[in-house]
Amino acid sequence: MRSKLRRSILYWLVLLPLVVVILFPFGVMFVTAVRPRAELFVYPPTWGFSEFRWENFSEMWEKTNFGGALLNSVYVSVTATVIALLLSIPAAYAMSRYHFSGKGAYRTFLLMTQMMSPIVLVLGLFRLMMALGLVNNLNSLVLIYAAFNMAFTIWMLQSYFNSIPRDLEEAAWMDGASHFTSLVRIFLPLAVPAIAVTAIFTFINSWNEFVLALTMMRSSADYTLPVQIYAQVAGRYQVEWHHVMAATVLATLPVAIVFSWLQRYLIRGMALGAVK
Amino acid sequence: MSSVTIRGIKKRYGTLTVLHGIDLDIEDQEFVVLVGPSGCGKSTLLRMIAGLESVSSGSIAIGDRVINDVPPKSRDIAMVFQNYALYPHMSVYENMSFSLRLRRQAKDVIDRKVREAAEILNLGKFLDRSPRQLSGGQRQRVAMGRALVRDAQVFLFDEPLSNLDAKLRVVMRVEIKALHQRLKTTSVYVTHDQIEAMTMADRIVVMNAGRIEQIGTPLQLYDTPANLFVADFIGSPSMNFIHGTLHIGASGAHVQTENGTRLAVPLMASGRDGQKVVYGVRPEHMTLTEGDAGAPVIVEVVEPTGANIQVYCKLGETSVCAIFTDRHEFRPDQQIRLTCPLEKIHLFDAESGLRL
Repeated sequence: MRSKLRRSILYWLVLLPLVVVILFPFGVMFVTAVRPRAELFVYPPTWGFSEFRWENFSEMWEKTNFGGALLNSVYVSVTATVIALLLSIPAAYAMSRYHFSGKGAYRTFLLMTQMMSPIVLVLGLFRLMMALGLVNNLNSLVLIYAAFNMAFTIWMLQSYFNSIPRDLEEAAWMDGASHFTSLVRIFLPLAVPAIAVTAIFTFINSWNEFVLALTMMRSSADYTLPVQIYAQVAGRYQVEWHHVMAATVLATLPVAIVFSWLQRYLIRGMALGAVK
Repeated sequence: MSSVTIRGIKKRYGTLTVLHGIDLDIEDQEFVVLVGPSGCGKSTLLRMIAGLESVSSGSIAIGDRVINDVPPKSRDIAMVFQNYALYPHMSVYENMSFSLRLRRQAKDVIDRKVREAAEILNLGKFLDRSPRQLSGGQRQRVAMGRALVRDAQVFLFDEPLSNLDAKLRVVMRVEIKALHQRLKTTSVYVTHDQIEAMTMADRIVVMNAGRIEQIGTPLQLYDTPANLFVADFIGSPSMNFIHGTLHIGASGAHVQTENGTRLAVPLMASGRDGQKVVYGVRPEHMTLTEGDAGAPVIVEVVEPTGANIQVYCKLGETSVCAIFTDRHEFRPDQQIRLTCPLEKIHLFDAESGLRL
């Protein structure tokens, strides 16, 4: 018992620097967000504040079009996630269950696209969107985010699909189910954990993406949250840091909520127990 | 319920042929066991009947209807898989009722059928549980229950007992047989375990390397195996084989073994003098003898099982096993003499392996 306690303490000590590095910016962000403006630049810096100002959030919301940017971000991230999943589930299923020529090459191709950052391609993508008439249109981001996340989602779903025993689908066929019915009633319910995980990743990636959003969106009404927050800092004579930080707190919240809602699927392995 | 007719079935994967033209007639209400070593093609044949593997050439018919191109869902066949394949996200009740729900049967009909099947299989208490809360034997019963509720024309079993421990396997074996005697649904059962095949089958199909070696009732295969493979495969411990040369004289026939021992054999029309043969005798047909009769062997290992004694001996360089139900005393290195009634001796041609 004692040695177990000692070991936990040791582990926490080792982890501590990491925890500090991760939590420090969050601490600064939160403290700055709820401070009165006058206390922003006190020297020496402190963690305390004289009053807890919720008004910072409402002021920021009104002054910076935060609501519009939030809606834009939700629209882009949700739609991109849905499209990526709708396309990658059949692709991953085919890769997992069927034999076709060029399967290996296709897998390698998917992996290789992951090695390239979309930023490298930003000019090309911009010209493509120009040609499609989608510049300054949120759907351009939807398209790009869905496309760039699909390599990962297909790869991820396929490895999970491989672990779902084929026997289950065969049993369903023998029970009288069509391929489609067995897919919907047997296969997909078992794949929920993997689908949830890939959805989380796609959503967070789309939510946080900055460079492409900055390039494609020209008018401030179409800004997504990262661009909107950036716009409060860049090219201004006076930066309202307490507003910037309030906006950042609010921008990280949806991600935290989505993650905590879906994380139970991360640990649940439902296919276990199906077969011995 | 229906017969299954298999004609000239071949299965090829690219250049590899795994089934070389199988012909088999399974009669209505019959329980047929496909048995053979792993890789012999028995599971492939079963999956072709199920529709889970395509047919390269030949035809499969249920009743009068050729089903080569009929998808599995329309074949009206129920199958029990080796690893049960229970739907993990459904309760036992939902697992068993799945096929009926797909057929949009009335709720009360579904409920009655599921409860009837659960009654037969002693699953009444477990209907609300999920598969992961069940033991191996219970899961196996649910898998059978799923087949049972359907009144399918044919039941297929793909090594359903191989994941169970030895004791449970015996219990389930009896249960499956009792179930078949009650329902009389035409059944095809795949196993690599010859004891399962012997105890359960109306007829056994012994397969090897994609071909049928012999078809017959369990006792036909045991008493008159068509070739060395079947003789070796059926029976446990398996038949003793002693290589030698057949000599036919005026006074009778004998086999001269490689170490010079003479083993008396019955006169057979198909044997030639001087033919290289394999002399086969089952361990349980060996008897002890005194004096000059029988073949002298040296005892190596003695295994008492309680019900009988298994004695492993050497006849020259050849290992021989004998089983006695009487409680004799044997010591290692002891010389004993073994003999066998003439009608229990099997002779095979050494070259072709076929029975003489």
